[in-house]
Amino acid sequence: MSPKNEIRQKTDSERPAIEWELAPPYGSKTVLIILVVVIVMIVSGNHTKIDRMFYLMGEAVGNIVGLNDSSQVVSGTKNIARSMFPLQFSETTEVSRIENFDPKDLPMFSTLKSKQTSVTRVNPQTLALEKTTTTRTVLYNPIGYFMHVLRKMLETIEIAIWATLFGIIISIPLTYCSAANYTRNRLTYGFARGAVSMFRAIPELISAMFLVLAFGFGPIAGILALAIHSAGFLGKFYAEDIENADSGPQEALRAIGVSKIKTLRYAVLPQVLPQYVAYNMYILDRNVRMATVIGLVGAGGIGQELKGRYDLFDYGHVSTILMMIFLTVFALDHISGRIRSKLI
Amino acid sequence: MIKFENISKTYSDGTVALNNVSFEIPKGQFCVLLGHSGAGKSTILRLVNGLEQPSSGSVTVDGSKIVPNSLQSVRRKVSMIHQEVNLSPRSSVAVNVMSGALADVSALLAMIGWFPERLRRKCCELVERVGLTENHLKRRISTLSGGQQQRVGIARSLMLDPLVILADEPIASLDPSVSRDVLSHLRNIAKERGCTILCCLHQVEMAKEFADRIVGIEGGHVVFDRLPSDVDEMTLRLIYKNYDDPFGEDVVAAAAVENVLEVAVKR
Repeated sequence: MSPKNEIRQKTDSERPAIEWELAPPYGSKTVLIILVVVIVMIVSGNHTKIDRMFYLMGEAVGNIVGLNDSSQVVSGTKNIARSMFPLQFSETTEVSRIENFDPKDLPMFSTLKSKQTSVTRVNPQTLALEKTTTTRTVLYNPIGYFMHVLRKMLETIEIAIWATLFGIIISIPLTYCSAANYTRNRLTYGFARGAVSMFRAIPELISAMFLVLAFGFGPIAGILALAIHSAGFLGKFYAEDIENADSGPQEALRAIGVSKIKTLRYAVLPQVLPQYVAYNMYILDRNVRMATVIGLVGAGGIGQELKGRYDLFDYGHVSTILMMIFLTVFALDHISGRIRSKLI
Repeated sequence: MIKFENISKTYSDGTVALNNVSFEIPKGQFCVLLGHSGAGKSTILRLVNGLEQPSSGSVTVDGSKIVPNSLQSVRRKVSMIHQEVNLSPRSSVAVNVMSGALADVSALLAMIGWFPERLRRKCCELVERVGLTENHLKRRISTLSGGQQQRVGIARSLMLDPLVILADEPIASLDPSVSRDVLSHLRNIAKERGCTILCCLHQVEMAKEFADRIVGIEGGHVVFDRLPSDVDEMTLRLIYKNYDDPFGEDVVAAAAVENVLEVAVKR
């Protein structure tokens, strides 16, 4: 008897009912989990004043549509908006403060203006208030401040690029040691993993604060702070990619006696390269954004300018800086998107 | 050329892969291992280049015994072709073929991707020999067909002029005509160069067509060891239980499908 007939005889009604069971996808356990999550969210929302946030936002919306008279949020926002506009592009410099000033050879776009300032002070002889008016010549540049911000932005981008470069360089040995399948021994593995975690754990702003103490104000501290943080990120990403890479090509090279480092170069690198490029672009993008911030603690770049202007209540200047940052990040998004699509 | 002496292999999870296996393969022979999945064929192959160590017994290649600290020198003489090809899919054909000689390139040159003139010329010769053209050299592996990829695998395995080529189911994912093409390239090239081939296969017909000798493995033992012309159905039943209706299990499965269809039509 062929197996074909054997099976045909056992059809339909003769087959015994099977006792399989397929449980429903959700059950009491799921309900319990949801309940716990909701309770945790309520408690935590209470800690972080989420309720007040919604209250204030509701109040603001009510104020805008005319339901209530006062809203802290709306008036605060209005104040900020009023002081931030118009944007400050121009720059005036007193001629007397410029060394070797030559009125026949003015910088581009600049004009000379006279500016009157009156000062009221007490005359020590007569003890009467006297008003003295002085007229000074100033150099007026309609886009002087804008150009200054542009230069600062360029410096910021430079900081980001150098930081990314150093980050990549630092991360390469860390990656090799922290990829479990390539590291030489447990000691270097543990050490490298620890270093990677530590680099990632210290926020740039904090490390920049300390590096400013060590290296002084300026871009050096910024570059180092960002580079260390980038190395932490890249080391982790790279190592995980190496560990997850397809083992076939690696085994093929191992089987013909190729050393680890060459295997990494020929069987792993081609696989993970597109991903590496994506990571590097992301880190560069992130470094530009972070480089604008670390200036707040004096580590160079546009943030330093921002902090100075903010402390002087020059909100017009601040909004020029913010606009510049926004435009840069926006442009960078587009550029990095293009580069990524070409390389991958 | 290759000598297995009383080899036993038990994996760390307790699986007994090989049990007291002894046989010898003379130089230049195309030896095929047959057996169902899990019978121990791959283990035998992996013992030859030291990817696995025997639990007891010894493997000798070209007169030298394989011990863990002689692996580098052994692996220069023994190359391998894999079931999943195991080429680097995003690299070019040329780089993949030349990577077969990486053991001969200094680390520094390898890092910057610079292969000496000698290896580049050899790469061209081998790519030509396996029936690909100059245009293929720069193409990525992922753009090639399965048969072309396996031929690149053969070219790579020849870069260091191996004495032994191990082939682990090299045609498992290829259709019959492409399989025949790949195997005939492998066989012809090996015969030209006097390479010994140890090859695992599942395709009995292919084995009979190309092998000089067929060794049947079942449950970690050698159950037969004959010339291809002496391998008949009775012999094959030693390794495949249902060999009387060829691919017996498949027929049962097909019958079951037919049955389901009939029932569906009736309703």
